[in-house]
Amino acid sequence: MRTASRNPAELADEYVIGLCDTDEQREVEQRLNTDQDIAVHVELARLRFANLDAATPDVAVPENFWSRINSALDVLEAGADAIGSDALETAPSKDASDTVVPFDPQPQKRSRRMTWFVAANIAATLLLALTVFWMSMTRVDPQVVAVLLDDGGQPVAMIEGQQDNTTRVTLLGDIDVPAGSILQLWTKPDPDGAPVSIGIFDEPRQTILEAVGLPAPTTDQLYEITFEQPGGSPTGLPTGPILGKGFTKEPN
Amino acid sequence: MEHAAIIAACARGDRNALRQLLDLEGPKMLGIAKRMLQRQDLAEDALQDAMVQIWKKAGTYDPTKGSARAWIFAILRNRTLNMLRDGARETATGDDTLEREIDRGDLNDAWQMLGHDSELRKCLEGLETEKRHAVLMSYVWGYTHGEIAGRLSAPLGTVKAWVRRALNSLRECMT
Repeated sequence: MRTASRNPAELADEYVIGLCDTDEQREVEQRLNTDQDIAVHVELARLRFANLDAATPDVAVPENFWSRINSALDVLEAGADAIGSDALETAPSKDASDTVVPFDPQPQKRSRRMTWFVAANIAATLLLALTVFWMSMTRVDPQVVAVLLDDGGQPVAMIEGQQDNTTRVTLLGDIDVPAGSILQLWTKPDPDGAPVSIGIFDEPRQTILEAVGLPAPTTDQLYEITFEQPGGSPTGLPTGPILGKGFTKEPN
Repeated sequence: MEHAAIIAACARGDRNALRQLLDLEGPKMLGIAKRMLQRQDLAEDALQDAMVQIWKKAGTYDPTKGSARAWIFAILRNRTLNMLRDGARETATGDDTLEREIDRGDLNDAWQMLGHDSELRKCLEGLETEKRHAVLMSYVWGYTHGEIAGRLSAPLGTVKAWVRRALNSLRECMT
């Protein structure tokens, strides 16, 4: 394997910005499924450069564009019927990802399509179960917990803070993040002082933020999440609309 | 719906969710593809292929391992990069690459559109000009080491070293 001896952080950066050659790219994509180290570095690199994507000028999508995609999906599913369980491949090779989908939809064999859907649903359920299991296995004991509420009193996020301010954020329910916005978590270690940023995040259901130089979180400490521009609040203080806020309690 | 919920709905076979994603992120995705491919029709092909890939791979997305939005954009970027490596750049620009060499306007726009308080912008500003350009030519235009060397009139080995040092600096700066 050509990439085995490479520094994983450097390799992940080059993969994400697009500088790997075809062989290296294929190797990294294979390793992403099995090599936790490289997977973490790739995710960090993607987040590091994500603001360049967010800052790209929009180009209007043609009005009839959805019908193109819809037709391509019809063809895809007709093809899935034809090749049966092969349609369940979960890690497409470069060749598969480069396949140009032809336009000539011919839906057929409904029963096989149903089989495919059932199998896909079972796979999705298994994935969810494994995800929940993984999350429960990696849960740590927090020093404080806060449930953040929106203006209507509905819970929108759960905060779990550790002694060193490693903070797990779990968003609750469907959160609409306005296009071009990110989320930023704030806290007030000093009730009479200014809010300080714990970190910014995109919109995953769950994320872990690490803040350095703050006192350990205590009970009745305010946390809040605001919508901010990519890169975080330009002033270093919350400027955007508040998603939710709440005070910490110590878990029993 | 948030991005992760849209992907989960796609995995369940809900086409309306994919349509919602097109409404939500289509213009941004098309903008990214067009900046790399330099042609509207090729960019539309990249967007269509990316949406089909998102649909196909939705069941493999694991929300505990990464941001949903980053996952979506990575699929678009991979598709666009593969098209470039397969020769779309030659189709797109022909002999006009010189124009782009002279006009690095969109390259400068790319990072100057980042907010003044953006950590990435501050860290890019800290790099020497040629190193910053090398990184941006790769990420924003999809250039290879060889293409960057050509545009910057620098030896290939030098460009590789610039990029590596620049990426190391960004990593240190942004942690």
